[in-house]
Amino acid sequence: MVLSTLCVLGCASAQADISLRFVVWDGDEAMKVITSEVHNFEVAHPGIHVKLETVNANYQEKLLAQVAANVAPDVAMMDPADFQRFSTRGKLYSLNQFFKLTPEFDLSKYYKNLVDAHSLNGELYVLPRDIAPCSVIYYNKRLFREAGIPYPDGTWTWDFQERPDLKDKDFLWVMHRLTKPAANGGLPAQWGYSPGWKELFRDMIYLQMGARALDDYASPKRMLYDDPRIIKATQFSADLALVNHWMPSDTEITNALQSNASQLFTEQKVAMFQSGIWEVPGLRKELIPGTKGYFEWDIAIAPVYAHGVRAYPTGGSGYCILKQTQHPKEAWLLTQWMAGPHGMLAMARAGLAQPGIHELAISEPWIPGPHTPIDQQVPHNRIITDQSAPYVVFSPTTIYWSEISGIGGQTHELVFRGTAKAQDVMPPANLRAQKRLDALIHDERLVPFDWKLGGVAGVVLMGILGAWIYAPERGKRRSTRQKKDNLAGYMFILPWLLGTILFTVGPMVLSFLMSFADWDIIRPAKWRGAGNYVEAATFDPTFWKALSVTLMYTVAAVPLGVAASLGLAMLLNTKVWGMPLWRTCYYLPSLASAVASALIWKKVFQADGGILNGFIYSSFGHLAGLDKFLAPFADATGKVNWLGSEKTALFSLVLMSVWGAGSGMVILLAGLQNVPQYLYEAATLDGAGHLSRFRNVTLPLVSPTLFFSLITGFIGSFQVFSSALLMTDGGPNMATTFFMLHLYKQAFLSLRMGYASALAWVLFAVILVFTVAQLRMSKWVYYEGGK
Amino acid sequence: MIRRGSGEISNKAANRAIWLEQGGKGVGLVTLLLGVAVFLLPFYVMLAMALKDQSEVATTSMWSWPVHPTLANFVEVLTNPNVSFALFLKNTTFIAVTSTIGVVISSSMAAYGFARVEFAGRDRLFLVLLATMMLPGIVTMIPTYVMYASIGWVNTFKPLIIPAFFGGGAFNIFLLRQFYLGIPRELDEAAVLDGANHWTIYWKVLMPLTKPALVTVGVFSFMGAWRDFMGPLLYLNEPEKQTLEVGLRTYTALRAEKWHLLMAGSVLVIIPILIIFFIGQRSFIKGIVMTGGK
Repeated sequence: MVLSTLCVLGCASAQADISLRFVVWDGDEAMKVITSEVHNFEVAHPGIHVKLETVNANYQEKLLAQVAANVAPDVAMMDPADFQRFSTRGKLYSLNQFFKLTPEFDLSKYYKNLVDAHSLNGELYVLPRDIAPCSVIYYNKRLFREAGIPYPDGTWTWDFQERPDLKDKDFLWVMHRLTKPAANGGLPAQWGYSPGWKELFRDMIYLQMGARALDDYASPKRMLYDDPRIIKATQFSADLALVNHWMPSDTEITNALQSNASQLFTEQKVAMFQSGIWEVPGLRKELIPGTKGYFEWDIAIAPVYAHGVRAYPTGGSGYCILKQTQHPKEAWLLTQWMAGPHGMLAMARAGLAQPGIHELAISEPWIPGPHTPIDQQVPHNRIITDQSAPYVVFSPTTIYWSEISGIGGQTHELVFRGTAKAQDVMPPANLRAQKRLDALIHDERLVPFDWKLGGVAGVVLMGILGAWIYAPERGKRRSTRQKKDNLAGYMFILPWLLGTILFTVGPMVLSFLMSFADWDIIRPAKWRGAGNYVEAATFDPTFWKALSVTLMYTVAAVPLGVAASLGLAMLLNTKVWGMPLWRTCYYLPSLASAVASALIWKKVFQADGGILNGFIYSSFGHLAGLDKFLAPFADATGKVNWLGSEKTALFSLVLMSVWGAGSGMVILLAGLQNVPQYLYEAATLDGAGHLSRFRNVTLPLVSPTLFFSLITGFIGSFQVFSSALLMTDGGPNMATTFFMLHLYKQAFLSLRMGYASALAWVLFAVILVFTVAQLRMSKWVYYEGGK
Repeated sequence: MIRRGSGEISNKAANRAIWLEQGGKGVGLVTLLLGVAVFLLPFYVMLAMALKDQSEVATTSMWSWPVHPTLANFVEVLTNPNVSFALFLKNTTFIAVTSTIGVVISSSMAAYGFARVEFAGRDRLFLVLLATMMLPGIVTMIPTYVMYASIGWVNTFKPLIIPAFFGGGAFNIFLLRQFYLGIPRELDEAAVLDGANHWTIYWKVLMPLTKPALVTVGVFSFMGAWRDFMGPLLYLNEPEKQTLEVGLRTYTALRAEKWHLLMAGSVLVIIPILIIFFIGQRSFIKGIVMTGGK
């Protein structure tokens, strides 16, 4: 019946063919389901065509760009943490007005807190598709049996102390009993419990104590990471790992295979782990009955605080309709189909997402029943996903959250790592975050940017640039030949000049203007005067640190990288057997995917079991005195924690950058072809040794290329951030917060494009000074055909 | 530039030099062998993971060679009807080939202008050229996107190809300029005496002499276009228009990376660049360029 009503509606409103763009961020597994469900929608609604697109990375950036350029899709996937960026800027339809279009639609069937998380001031902006309470404890039945503990029925509680009197009803007691200490006092052979990611357990603890990270999750005034309950929860969570060793520490989790707690579970290194229901398809694939390594498992609801309330962190997602759509009604039909019973049941059948509608989440196919295939019966206890739904707490929805939680949370990893006490470092960090929040709220009252004046300023700027370029030529008299050369010169550079004027200058000038504005990409810019620059220099807590980190990195990495490239190029320029193969091998790291490289380097730098430390703390390393030499950089365990310690993290990234010397090598290899063989022969005959030939023949002739490598190396190195993003995310304690990382987060996480522009122009000025200085000192460069 | 020694010792020195040359070669080979292990590491890991099935990826060490190597991942990546490898390959090849042609032609022209012709405002324009590299692309990304959208270029290959024909990037121009400056002026002057103009010198004298540099620029821009992620991600919408680098990213879902398929895809993506590099590097053969004749 639902189907036919929808069809009548759809057919009625779609006389001519209508095409809708529908964008999601799902991977291939979910895409199979969505694609076929979109097809079902099209069949039920003749005349509506849906163009399905998936954006697997940088989803928000792309959507922002599309909205800014007025080419947004009609329907887009969205989540509670992000929809405010668009809704508060008037870019999303409030969905309430559409409800009457589809009489069978009933919002009251959706989980109420899920609806609330996607609403603002009583208006629903995102129709929820799924809910994902992180209340699921996956447990290994065999290990429970071996320890003589009954399977958990969800009635357990936790306190800050182990409660032996409560036995299996006390979570910490269970955790303790399931931990198997190592025989030799090292790391446990088996941990009792692991959270899916380091903050999950901590967040659950303080939520159940009644604490919240902000006074208001939608429009906050106060940042509350200094709440004694949050401080206590953070320290408690760290102590369970570092003092009791009942759960693996963060380092121990990332040291496990592909940095994933579910791997520890399938390898039976932890008896229980906590996450959301989305781990199920992966676990089913890895734990196949009858195969090696299989064990029985099920799920239980995570415990509640003995003196508190039930609460669990959660995520969720849904679909929103963008204001730019030409067909809001059809967009609603699609939204309501995909985030309604049809779409939800399809996702539930695949085991991918818990329906956002209560009655669907308590019946088949989501809950195993007689019609459920045998391989999808596990986990049996899936009803807990519905039981925990009323207690979920979504992450803050304010657009300021990513920035202020970044500032306030910088010190948390120090606590998790055991290098600082929560009560010492968290309050000062919270103070910094609060200052930032105050400033952000204050900026909401600025006057609009004057575009007429801005346009004039842009033209004046271009005029000044033109005058500066022309200045040295003023009053010069030219011969006919020079005039001809002038014309020829400009003809040669014409494509570049045109391209620069057409494609490059406009956006550059605009970003310069925006550096004096408060601009969030979507809403009209507001005038901020020199405010951005003042903020950077005076009260941005990250600016100076980021600048100095970048400078240190550049000064170390560029000379090292160029030297390595030159050394490689010279080695690879000799006549050795199989040279093409050698060259290709050395070029390979520059081709490897960044994600794969990051994976490898994490394993190399790992404190325990990493290749580097394996070598240093081997008997050979001991013989060579490496362990003693590095002792000042070691942490409490006596080993160097390369990426995890403030002392060595930046250096580790420098080391990693040298590995990419392959592209520099190619350039210098090409440069070496400019050195004729006979010059070497002549020099050799004249008695010149290796060093002398290098200094007097190779270096001068390769100097133009070397100079190029240095200049572009510096320009590039100042703008590096992908390695930090993938390896350390700026940590530990900001030791690898590159300037560009800060800039990127300001631009796309905090949506402060104006401020990011100011940062960019500061960086521009720094690089310019560096480059001009190098050009001034370029006497050492020898041009065979100069001037 | 070259120190002149006395004739008497030169014979002895030459012997010593030959001996050193041989010894140096040996040392070089050993160094290469040691280094290559470190540099091959990423490819080894990618290949090993691509040859494992999903459960082996999950349960074994990243460094281990698969117990039962399987080509199933490659087959799945190549034949998955929802993620059309062949289509992505066609799109990527088209974009990479055309933009590389544009880059090589237009950047070598501009480089010739900056290196070989003295025109008004040249040195300061050159600084402007360098300056275009100094502003982080993040802050110009949105304005650029809006600009391309306003002329209807979004969801077409145009933003990924046409700019290549207008200069081909400051990096490439700068690189080629350095090479042109390394070629002695005598060659141009001789050509001028034979009645050649700038275009003839550019095309007939400098282009052939700087083949290694042109190959470098070509390989780099081909690789850049082939591996570009943000460009295609932003500008192409429809699944049928995706490139390999973006299209294969669909095997990364939130918290559920399919490493075995991702790595199989990555290996397939870099093979064409490897072939191109392998062919291109043949131009780096010692002594092909005859310069510095005095």
